[in-house]
Amino acid sequence: MINQERLRLMTKMAAYEADEGKKNMAIASYFRSDYMGLQIIKSIICATIAYLIIFGLFIYYDFETFMQDIYKMDLMAFGKNVLLYYVIFVVAYSLICYIVYSIRYYKAKKSLKKYYNRLKQLSAMYDLEKRKS
Amino acid sequence: MSALLEMREKLRDIYSKGEVYLTPLFKFLLALVVLLSINANIGYMDRIAGNIIIPLIVALMCSFLPMNFIVLFGALFVCLNSYAVSLECGIVALAAFVLMFILYFRFSSKDTIVVALLPLMFMLKIPYIIPIAVGLLCTPLSVVSVACGTVAYYLVLFIKENAQTISDLETEEAIGKFRFVIDGLLGNQEIIIVLIAFSVIVITVYVIRMLSIDHSWTIGMCVGGVLGATILLIGDLSFDTHISLLSLILGMIASLLLAVGLQFFVFNVDYSRTEYVQFEDDEYYYYVKAVPKNSVPQTKVKVKKIH
Repeated sequence: MINQERLRLMTKMAAYEADEGKKNMAIASYFRSDYMGLQIIKSIICATIAYLIIFGLFIYYDFETFMQDIYKMDLMAFGKNVLLYYVIFVVAYSLICYIVYSIRYYKAKKSLKKYYNRLKQLSAMYDLEKRKS
Repeated sequence: MSALLEMREKLRDIYSKGEVYLTPLFKFLLALVVLLSINANIGYMDRIAGNIIIPLIVALMCSFLPMNFIVLFGALFVCLNSYAVSLECGIVALAAFVLMFILYFRFSSKDTIVVALLPLMFMLKIPYIIPIAVGLLCTPLSVVSVACGTVAYYLVLFIKENAQTISDLETEEAIGKFRFVIDGLLGNQEIIIVLIAFSVIVITVYVIRMLSIDHSWTIGMCVGGVLGATILLIGDLSFDTHISLLSLILGMIASLLLAVGLQFFVFNVDYSRTEYVQFEDDEYYYYVKAVPKNSVPQTKVKVKKIH
């Protein structure tokens, strides 16, 4: 005979596994430090590409002035400024990403804890049924 | 009211039964409308805007792909059409979309669809529904999605309004064209005012609907709408941005009515039956406010076989 309570539990778990659970399991398969490290590396790469695009647009906008002044300007000071803005941009973006991904990791762990509790519940139901039969 | 609730249940039932077919159909229609509206506004590239076959094929592809691909293909169409106007226009459009995707949408992929919906709503003169809906359904972080959608719309609008001027500039003046596009976008005060107004709407609606007060969703959308309209009006008076007063009021009323419709489907509760319960366990005291949802029992049809 079909155990309705067990069926309900299994349906909920299957729905979770198909959508949210899939993502959460992928996140929770990492240690926190590994997950955060990976995301920060990705963030640094993205921030670097974004900075290069913005810098490229900025230079192209003032290209004529830039080419006229290139021999007069202090290239070391210019390079230092570019690097400083790059570091500020990358650090700020990585910090935002760190906060977002920390919350995401915490939520994934919490959500998976509920899922494992349901698994235990399911296992207990099976045991009870075995003993009865 | 009960008739409306019954209709809602029936609609839910129809959708849950035909979800496998209805979701791709909706994606297809949305993609088609987005791509055709881009082509209708800035269809300067004959290869993609000259015939309906390419948008149709792309929309068909979108119906089987995740929702975000609608935005991706929409961005691609905007870039290609901008490139047809001038290389510099194409570069600016491409840079804007790449920045949006790599800086924001990589960690907030759920909100990406706002970028496609907001320009559409702008064209229908009811853009205010999007910040209100985002405030009701998403988190305050989604304000960035609304900002991206606003920038995307004004980019398309700028290209549409200035395509002839950009084309008329000499080919040798590549930097001049580039400057014209950048100055046109960054110097547009209307974008800034709209961005501020929409951000205020999203945050106000979100903060109020999270409060533990009766009718928080309705109060939130009304206060958010009024605040947004006030900011737009003050901005218009201060910077002379040519925002039409009639269009603003009518658009806001229509948006609020749509938001009420959205609320009916997403958050329909009966405050008259609110219960306050209080209990405790080993660690906490609980003061709980329970508001029952409005629902109607579905009529069960029994088929009696008479032999």
